[in-house]
Amino acid sequence: MRYLYILLAIFIFPWSIHAQNYEQEREKMVTKQILKRGVRDVRTLDAMRKVERHLFVPPRYMRMAYDDSPLSIGYGQTISQPYIVAYMTEIIEPKPSDKVLEIGTGSGYQAAVLAEIIDKVYTIEIVSELAKTASDRLQNLGYDNVKVISGDGYNGFEEEAPFDAIVVTAASEHIPPSLIKQLKEGGKMIIPVGSPFLVQTLMLIEKKDGKISTSSLMPVKFVPFTRGQNQ
Amino acid sequence: MNKRIYLSLGLLSASLIAFQLSLMQLISAVQWNHFAYMVISIALLGFGASGTLLAFTRKWFERHAEVALYLLMTLTGVAMSGIILFSSTLFGKFDTYLIFADFLNVKYLFLSYFSFFIPFFLGALAIGLIYTQYVSRIGTMYFADLLGSGLGGIFLLGLLWVFYPVQLPAVVAILPIVAGIFIIPKQWFKKLIIPSLLLLFLPVYLIIFPSQLPVSEFKGVSGALNMPESEIYMERKSPYGHIQVIEAPSFRNAPGLSLSFTGDIPVGDIIYSNGDWFGPLTNRAQNDEAHFLDYTTHNLAYIISEPTNVLVLDGRTGLHADHALWSGAEKVTIVEENKKALNLLNNELAFKVDSLFSDAKLRSVGLHSRSFLLADSSHYDLIVLPPIESFGGSSGVNALEEQYLLTVDAMNDTWNHLSDKGMIEVTSWMDYPVRNPLKILATLVETLEQNKCMEIEQHLVSIRSWGTITFVLKKTPFSSDEVSRIRSFCEQMYFDLVLLLGITSSERSAFNHLEDSSFFSYVDQIVSPERDAFYKNYDFNIRPATDNKPYFSQFLKLDRLSKLRNLFGQEAVPFLEIGYFITLLTFIQIALIAFILIIFPLFFTKWKGKGKVYTLLYFSGIGIGFMFVEIIFIQQFILYFGNPVTAASAVLSGLLISSGMGSLMSSRLKNNSRTILIILSLVIFFILFYAFILTPVLRVSISLPFLVKILFSILLISPVAFFMGMPFPIGLKHLDGHNNSLIPWAWGINGCFSVISTVLATIIAVEAGFLWVMLLASVAYGLALVASIFR
Repeated sequence: MRYLYILLAIFIFPWSIHAQNYEQEREKMVTKQILKRGVRDVRTLDAMRKVERHLFVPPRYMRMAYDDSPLSIGYGQTISQPYIVAYMTEIIEPKPSDKVLEIGTGSGYQAAVLAEIIDKVYTIEIVSELAKTASDRLQNLGYDNVKVISGDGYNGFEEEAPFDAIVVTAASEHIPPSLIKQLKEGGKMIIPVGSPFLVQTLMLIEKKDGKISTSSLMPVKFVPFTRGQNQ
Repeated sequence: MNKRIYLSLGLLSASLIAFQLSLMQLISAVQWNHFAYMVISIALLGFGASGTLLAFTRKWFERHAEVALYLLMTLTGVAMSGIILFSSTLFGKFDTYLIFADFLNVKYLFLSYFSFFIPFFLGALAIGLIYTQYVSRIGTMYFADLLGSGLGGIFLLGLLWVFYPVQLPAVVAILPIVAGIFIIPKQWFKKLIIPSLLLLFLPVYLIIFPSQLPVSEFKGVSGALNMPESEIYMERKSPYGHIQVIEAPSFRNAPGLSLSFTGDIPVGDIIYSNGDWFGPLTNRAQNDEAHFLDYTTHNLAYIISEPTNVLVLDGRTGLHADHALWSGAEKVTIVEENKKALNLLNNELAFKVDSLFSDAKLRSVGLHSRSFLLADSSHYDLIVLPPIESFGGSSGVNALEEQYLLTVDAMNDTWNHLSDKGMIEVTSWMDYPVRNPLKILATLVETLEQNKCMEIEQHLVSIRSWGTITFVLKKTPFSSDEVSRIRSFCEQMYFDLVLLLGITSSERSAFNHLEDSSFFSYVDQIVSPERDAFYKNYDFNIRPATDNKPYFSQFLKLDRLSKLRNLFGQEAVPFLEIGYFITLLTFIQIALIAFILIIFPLFFTKWKGKGKVYTLLYFSGIGIGFMFVEIIFIQQFILYFGNPVTAASAVLSGLLISSGMGSLMSSRLKNNSRTILIILSLVIFFILFYAFILTPVLRVSISLPFLVKILFSILLISPVAFFMGMPFPIGLKHLDGHNNSLIPWAWGINGCFSVISTVLATIIAVEAGFLWVMLLASVAYGLALVASIFR
């Protein structure tokens, strides 16, 4: 019987060390990468601490999941640098009662972070393989409040419009008119713009008193060679 | 054997140059052109390495020369075929786009260096062995080598019309195997002929059933194919690139669209060339609907006036030409250098663009835009320059691409084509850190000043959307009516003013707020007479490009690297200008490897010191000089012929064949110090002469008919090339008479420095300009001359 315990310990021990490491790494990620760069929203920080980022990356990148960089997830897409995810989440000032639309599900990580704060998240992914994987992943992790739609996010999601916020994670060379239409009065949309081979700029679009204004917020500088700040 | 060796050598040389060019084409299509440049440059060091190996194993190779030559040639062909089979596995595992983001890819990078190195190493070993074996006939041998190389370039050019990039290396691989067959030693002929002929089945099989090389997932074409229901429905091969036409029902092209646009963006197909964006195929706007370009900053010129005669440069698939016609232009000229694409748009794809190119009001010209400007004599009300840094382009990646349309000289040429009230329109993406908009502004401002328009704001307006900035330069001052129309256009479209007569600071950020508003101060400094100080102080090079340094997208100042590292972080620096960064990286790697291959082995040789310094200086000097001249000639002739493919073929064939003739002639000359001094002096004289007269001569003759231009260019190149072909065989002959153990080493030095100088020429051209590269070419030959005096 004693041997059985030892054997069990041998199997469990490395796993538990790993699990503990991921938690530590997540905390380190929040402190060293996110807090340090000025993200202060408590809900966002809690969500970043909670979502297990390593479960959203391909197995070969698991050990790099909490690094300060984006990682490739296939199909020319990336999972964003953790700080960018936190920054985009904070900037839309999410509240539990909000309805948020995400365009570009990618791995599902940004949707999971939003789902930790918001009751209902809609996310659309154009690459059907990515949509399927992200949907399964989010379901397995218990994110029942995320609805993954496989399709073209260009036209938004008319059925559930208007939205308090729209988070576009795929860089675009134009801002789809339908998305502006589906944004609530007072709503916010965040979108990376610019050439995929350049340092891109995160753009905040606000709808106030029927007028639309944009603010360029920050350069997205760790996005080499992708079509966008995708995840 | 004696005569057949010339043929074999010629075939082998032809195959090596054609293989190099076919790899460039192939790797650029499936991965990335800078990666192709880096991998092939390093692989070419196989020439240097072959010299070193020969130096150490010369006796063994000489004893088995006949069979070794046969084997080396045959193996070169096998390796050329094998590399493509291997690449299909290699490129499936890694992506060059991820090299800086994911170090797991670095090991595959080294693996690709090594694998591409092998065929060049084997081929060069064969050539080096021929030179050591037949040094007494070096003049004729070198002639065969150069003639083969010259014809190899032309041969590949022909192949590009017939075969897809993935088939090219296999086609080329046939040549060295055939070369091997020609020189099968008599005593082995019966045993080897059948296996040799059977070996030909390998490349033939790969031509019929080419390996499918996975295209990088980060290439534009892969992104488009990831969209639902996207598919390639047409593919065409040509020297202008591998064209793929994609049906992409989810793709909408509307760069920089106004936030006030509420309509539908037309869905259309896309053309990709070598996997990169070329342009959209969209139906023309109907009369009852708006053209979406009306809702972009591009429309500024049509708000200012109603141009009737419009010239669209680098017009690609005709979007801006269509917009000009839609806006009421009565005559539109579109210039596009990709003749294959133009041909498709005129014929097979005409229905996709509502027969735009058959419109009676439209004239299409298949030429490089700058060459068109130099040869054309018409005047236009509006000249539309291609958008800078649209999603199809990229500053960092194209840093070292010569952009002859965006130099101050080009802008002056454009200005000369304006009618009395003519305008130039150019749009750029707003980048961060700001570079492109500032450099184009500086170019326009200097153009105005050079044309005696000192009140800049009276002739230049600029507006900005959330993502793009457009400049319109007008020959005559803007009227108050025009100014008020611009203001109301911006109000309607949520655009902001950047430059306008009487602008207020609040108008610059009415709708689109910039996090860093110092951009406006930069704009004001460029417009002011003190712009020179700003050029110096700004962290990026935004001084306008010139024909002597036509690198518009090169912004990196090497002395600011550490500052940029502090500002943006260590990891971000390469991405600010990846193209130049890769070139610098390539140079460092090549220099290191060359040191290991050439200098380092010297410490292990038992050769006496005599002749070592001479060999190093002489053969490195002529290697560097030759390549510097070759590269500058190609650059200069790109503008002359209007496309790089014709330029490279004309220069390469003219230069190499004339050099070959020179080499042939050298065998009849007395090999003494006086001869070499006269030859080198003539080479230096010609280089200096060309450094100053080539540009004006080419400008004057640019409007000659194409065939006359070809003849003229060969005549122009021949004299200098003829003499440039002599120093190498004369030098080897000299070594043969004094210390023939140095011959393989000389071959290696020449090979290594030829590669080093290719990369070095680019760096010098970026930092100092073409003129300096030519001047340094003469210095390099001067070095050889000094070495000859003290030999």
